[in-house]
Amino acid sequence: MQKNAKIRSLHNLVFSGYLIPLGLGLLILFIPSFVSAQTPTVPLINSTLRGTVIDGRTKTTLPGAIVQLQGTTHKAFTDSEGEFNFVTGQKFPYTIIVSYIGYKTKEVVVDGSPVEVSLEESINQLGEIIVVGYGTQERKNLVGSITKVNPAETKDIPTGSFDSQLQGKVPGVQISSNTGVPGETVNIRVRGATSINADNDPLYVVDGVFINTNSLQTISTGGKASSPIADINPADIESVEVLKDANATALYGSRGANGVILITTKRGNYNQKSKISFNASQGWSKAEKLWELTTGPEHATLVNEWWVNTGNPASTVPFRPVSAGGRGRPSEQQTYDRLGQVFQTAGMQNYDLSLSGGTATTKYYIAAGYNDQESILKPITFNRGSFKVNLDQKINEKIQVGVSNTFARTGRNQARAGDGPAGGLLQAALHTPTYLSPVNELGIPVGRAGFDNVDLLLKYYDVHSTSLRYIGSLYAQANLLPNLVFRSTVGVDYNNYDESEYWNTFLISGSPNGLATSSVGQSTSLLNEQTLNYRKTLGRHGFGVLVGNTLQADISEGTSSTGRGFANNSFKQISSAAVTTGSQSWNKATLVSFFSRIDYNFSGKYLLEASLRADASSRFGSNNRWGYFPSVGGAWRIKGENFLKDVAFISDLKLKGSYGVTGNQNGIGSFASLGLWSGGSSYQDSPGIAPQQLANPDLKWERTNQYNAGVDISLFNERLNLEFNAYHKQTVNGLLRLTLPATTGFASYMSNAAEISNKGFEFNINSVNIRKSHFTWSTSLNISRNVNNIDKLETPLKYGSRDLILQQQGSPLYSFWVYNELYVDPQTGNSVYQDYNNDGRITVDDRRINGSIWPKFFGGLTNNLTYKGFDVSVFLAFQSGNKIYNHNRFFGEGGGARDAARIIFASNNARWQKPGDITNIPKPDGININNYRDGGSRWLEDGSFLKLRSLNIGYTLPKSLTHKVRIENVRLFVVGTNLFTITNYTGLDPESAASSSQNEQGIDLGTPPQPRGIQFGVNVVL
Amino acid sequence: MKTLKYISAFLILVVFASCEGILEVEPRSSISDQQTIVDKGSAETAIRAVYEASRGYYGTSFQSIAYLSGDNVQWTGSQSQVQEFINHKVNPENSTIGGVWNGIYSAVNRANHIIAKVPALTDPLLTGALKNQITGEAYFIRALAYFDLARTWGGAPIITKPTLAATDNRGVAKSTQAQVYAQALADLDLAEPLLPLSTDRYRATRKTVWALKSRFYLYQKDWAKAEEFADKVIADVANYELLAPYNSFFFPESKRGTKESVFEFYYSSNETNGHRGQWQPQSNGGTRQWAPNDAFVALVNNPAIGGTRSALVAKDNQNRWFGNLYYRSPATDPTYVIRIAELYLIRAEARAQQGGAKLAAARADLDAVRNRSALEATPALTQADILLAIENERRFEFAFEAHRWFDLVRTGRAAAVLNVTDPNRLLMPIPIDQIQADKALVQNPGY
Repeated sequence: MQKNAKIRSLHNLVFSGYLIPLGLGLLILFIPSFVSAQTPTVPLINSTLRGTVIDGRTKTTLPGAIVQLQGTTHKAFTDSEGEFNFVTGQKFPYTIIVSYIGYKTKEVVVDGSPVEVSLEESINQLGEIIVVGYGTQERKNLVGSITKVNPAETKDIPTGSFDSQLQGKVPGVQISSNTGVPGETVNIRVRGATSINADNDPLYVVDGVFINTNSLQTISTGGKASSPIADINPADIESVEVLKDANATALYGSRGANGVILITTKRGNYNQKSKISFNASQGWSKAEKLWELTTGPEHATLVNEWWVNTGNPASTVPFRPVSAGGRGRPSEQQTYDRLGQVFQTAGMQNYDLSLSGGTATTKYYIAAGYNDQESILKPITFNRGSFKVNLDQKINEKIQVGVSNTFARTGRNQARAGDGPAGGLLQAALHTPTYLSPVNELGIPVGRAGFDNVDLLLKYYDVHSTSLRYIGSLYAQANLLPNLVFRSTVGVDYNNYDESEYWNTFLISGSPNGLATSSVGQSTSLLNEQTLNYRKTLGRHGFGVLVGNTLQADISEGTSSTGRGFANNSFKQISSAAVTTGSQSWNKATLVSFFSRIDYNFSGKYLLEASLRADASSRFGSNNRWGYFPSVGGAWRIKGENFLKDVAFISDLKLKGSYGVTGNQNGIGSFASLGLWSGGSSYQDSPGIAPQQLANPDLKWERTNQYNAGVDISLFNERLNLEFNAYHKQTVNGLLRLTLPATTGFASYMSNAAEISNKGFEFNINSVNIRKSHFTWSTSLNISRNVNNIDKLETPLKYGSRDLILQQQGSPLYSFWVYNELYVDPQTGNSVYQDYNNDGRITVDDRRINGSIWPKFFGGLTNNLTYKGFDVSVFLAFQSGNKIYNHNRFFGEGGGARDAARIIFASNNARWQKPGDITNIPKPDGININNYRDGGSRWLEDGSFLKLRSLNIGYTLPKSLTHKVRIENVRLFVVGTNLFTITNYTGLDPESAASSSQNEQGIDLGTPPQPRGIQFGVNVVL
Repeated sequence: MKTLKYISAFLILVVFASCEGILEVEPRSSISDQQTIVDKGSAETAIRAVYEASRGYYGTSFQSIAYLSGDNVQWTGSQSQVQEFINHKVNPENSTIGGVWNGIYSAVNRANHIIAKVPALTDPLLTGALKNQITGEAYFIRALAYFDLARTWGGAPIITKPTLAATDNRGVAKSTQAQVYAQALADLDLAEPLLPLSTDRYRATRKTVWALKSRFYLYQKDWAKAEEFADKVIADVANYELLAPYNSFFFPESKRGTKESVFEFYYSSNETNGHRGQWQPQSNGGTRQWAPNDAFVALVNNPAIGGTRSALVAKDNQNRWFGNLYYRSPATDPTYVIRIAELYLIRAEARAQQGGAKLAAARADLDAVRNRSALEATPALTQADILLAIENERRFEFAFEAHRWFDLVRTGRAAAVLNVTDPNRLLMPIPIDQIQADKALVQNPGY
């Protein structure tokens, strides 16, 4: 009685709503007192059953299968030979239930020993477990739109981080800006982009920890930055779930508007014998092609032509005989190749070792990994050593505790691949005119055209960074009542990022006497979370209630010091510099949240879910600190209705719909709502303070309202599965750095002023085409479309070099703003522009939006085939209808007007030369006038492509062979990456239009392409 | 069970109490705008930021508008917005003019905060003299800002109150060029009595006001007043002097705040000036984004024309000429706003314009400047020749400072010298962003 009283009073407490918050974890301390020990029963032996469990299709044995006696908890496991031995008090005949992960569970009536049980592999789409916000669900019961990805399919693509490997795998998710530099940030957009000044990146949650995804890099590499996601070893990931609609994401409230990516790392299994898995691979990669440049004589010819065309006398052309004071005739010019110097065949290697398993009460996963890659652009390298420990312990039947730990050290040799003259490696190689010698008349290496000397850069590049990362969580879970689970989690994501650069006196940045920078950044995300989960089935009614709260804090800080003036190039420490300066930064933002979800289903046919999250953020003014994010969703499993029950070819049919609200606050400053004066405006080495930003106490969340409607169809015994979703996202109160008239003394202030919408659909089809004992073939295809539009924006905003990007009401985000070129006049050789206002002049009024970075559709196609021991996977990614501004070509087709300052592309040779010439390249004239106008549409290109992203071929040695040496499994494999690309884009790679700056997408300048690669490897399981 | 209840009640309290605490995060590198200019210390730190803002637009951008639009400098880099000045085809999207416009109004706003708040402060430590000085300095910087607006764009909005909320100081239409000049003069008149009669080359004093007034009246063609105020400064021979040879005011690196300088902006290894990067060649860590053109190099190296001013140019390791006025590492090259040489040449011009008996004195002023660059006395005798000689002298004397374009525009010589025949091109376009952000602003004619 006393125990019941205790439970009842606890019950009352819980349901009177008291126990949502923090600290409930401590209650666990009290639990053991009301948990009674189970009394063991003494077995009575009446029969012994021996048997083997095999795969019905391939006839191979299945070790680790579970054999259970019906109606009891008594079970046994098959050994490494697939055999089991069952001793029971029951008498023959009785029913055993045999189950194995990935196979259909089978009930067999046995009347004697031994038996052979053959299991049929289950496609079991419907029963697949999907991780959702704060829980899991079977696929058939999903109301929201969630895509699960198995990272095993993509983890060998050599990009460094798992997120870039997902490209083309998830419907509705666009991943762009991959480059040839491993471990760089990529842009992930889940169902479009919702914001101009707040982040558009999804939220990443690793084993319940909300991780930092902002690069801590402070040293400029001319555009992009190192990705914090690259600290995670893809081999440790069990599954990736991408949450897309409001029903799935609303539980993440203020952080859910851009979608949520849930990463679940590998864990052991209870009652699993130890398994050691070793994976090793080695490979090489190379640029598919490089830019084609003019030779020295061609360059000189074009420059001379420009000289004459701009009204200068032919007698003074720059390339005239040296005796006449010129640089020599065009035919006398040399050609120097710099691209060949900086691009290389890059090597890579990867090793992963893991140990996993479990006893009845403990399960573990311990792993170590090492990845080392060179970029195809010298001298860039990336390496990551990682270490993973996941443990779970059942303290008793009701209480379980566990930890997840990820440690990683990521080291990089960096180089400036992107924009900017000083230290710009790719630009120095690509943009220095080919006729210019790398040495001066004394034979001393010199940089030309404003760039560094390539030989000196390659010799003296000295930029390094090291990221130390710990992502960990500790949880305790208690089954307070049979249907009531309490869970408390403490998580931390800590990142220490240490970078240093040294520029010696031979390089521009280090001239005249050396420059060194050392910088240490730290980012800490702390999380504390409590949830209570109640689930109950009463007859045909099933329902669940979840309540929870979280406290989060994100702290980032950085210290940087710079030294100038070194005695000579042997001194590199800042302490030995003549002049040193330092700086420091600190930021903190906190979030307090409460959330709840209720779900109900009636006989598995009608599913309803509703959730609400309330978030309070320190970033906003006290007027608008709290935000509320509700969602509601429902599904109708029509298959459950009587009229479909007997339609055999339909395995499942489900309609679903949802509506909800999510928020966004990431990406704005921690103190964005405050009016601030800041220091740092010093004069005469004494401090000065100045207005920094204007207050906006009304600043509040960006809100995204999202509707989703979808249908899931499963046919032919689950062999053909289709999913279709259509959505409409409307973002209001969009966070915008609103341009202020300069007369205020400020450039802008943060406000809620933009509205953006995304509409689209996603289509996904998975099919098992052939399924024979030695041959299988399955296909999956996804196609998505997203239509982005800026619904409200008072003043257009321009971004990017030469204002190439215009954000304007009525057009999509990242639209290109160009002068439309119609044709090259065959008579004059001049480019003819569209004169929209018919005023006879081409002015800024004639500059219009022409296309955007958004494709009409995009997706991926994967085919998997197996034949006996062989397996083949072919993965194609594609997109169509997006534009890219080929900014390299803009410079490279300058027609000679940039003379000795820039390269000329070989394509410029096809320019107009005499009346009657039909060409699309006008005659050479000045810069940013007439034919070579900044923002001309001639360099705006179609970015559609079809790419063979990966081709994976494996061979698994026969078990009969490997088992002899007590090896479970040996697989040899070869992976080809980016083996071909079909595109009309004239740049190197339609996917590398990259910039770390959110609003400057789609401009291809100074980006090494993704390489074509091949890797060989072996996977051994003991 | 009581224990349990107490514990949970306690935890709930902790959570809700801590929530509010958790959500209050204060910045560490900034302060709230409620508590800024309140006493002596804060007034002194705020006036420094006014100089810092003015230095911000003067450092490179504003000066480059003046010399790039002249005839001494060629463009060698990739940013065509630089070329626009050289070609006299500046677009409203040009980022340099956008940056300068923003920079000027940022300085104006900071000055307005001082002007609005400092006179009313009651801190006993803040003496009347110091209060006057700080307020006078703010008026001076604001005068310089409006003078620069008027000569670059012509008409512009006049703002005299600080911006306290996002709704302040917007929707203000342009005043005429004459009104903006008048505002500059009004501010100078207010600054003059407030400032001490001391010498400070990095901050405004009464003598700095005189120097700027002298230039102001030159632009207004009020020759007598231009001469009068130039006189006042030149007369202070104890503090201001033409240093010889020419490079004595900028070479070696230790030279700054010399007697040559009437007003210059201060830089140090902590407050660097990026200007050198545009001029210096790669072998000196710069980009050589622009460089002296061939014609200028030939003339400045001519001992009869450039004299010792040939120190302004040098050759790099590829035999290319580069401008060498801004060369220091770390980048601490001063920005020369007013040099004593300018006051001599203002006086020369003002005297020459008055003609008659003053021509000889005009030649004497001109020769003073020529002599220190090791040049012989000017051969010019007639008024017209003397004026032309002054114009050319200014071309070399201030080759890489903020003068050439403004000189040719104010004397009406841009068409003859630079072939700028469209009078609308004598004013820069209002930055396109500003036109879009503020409907009250009207673009200058011809753009």
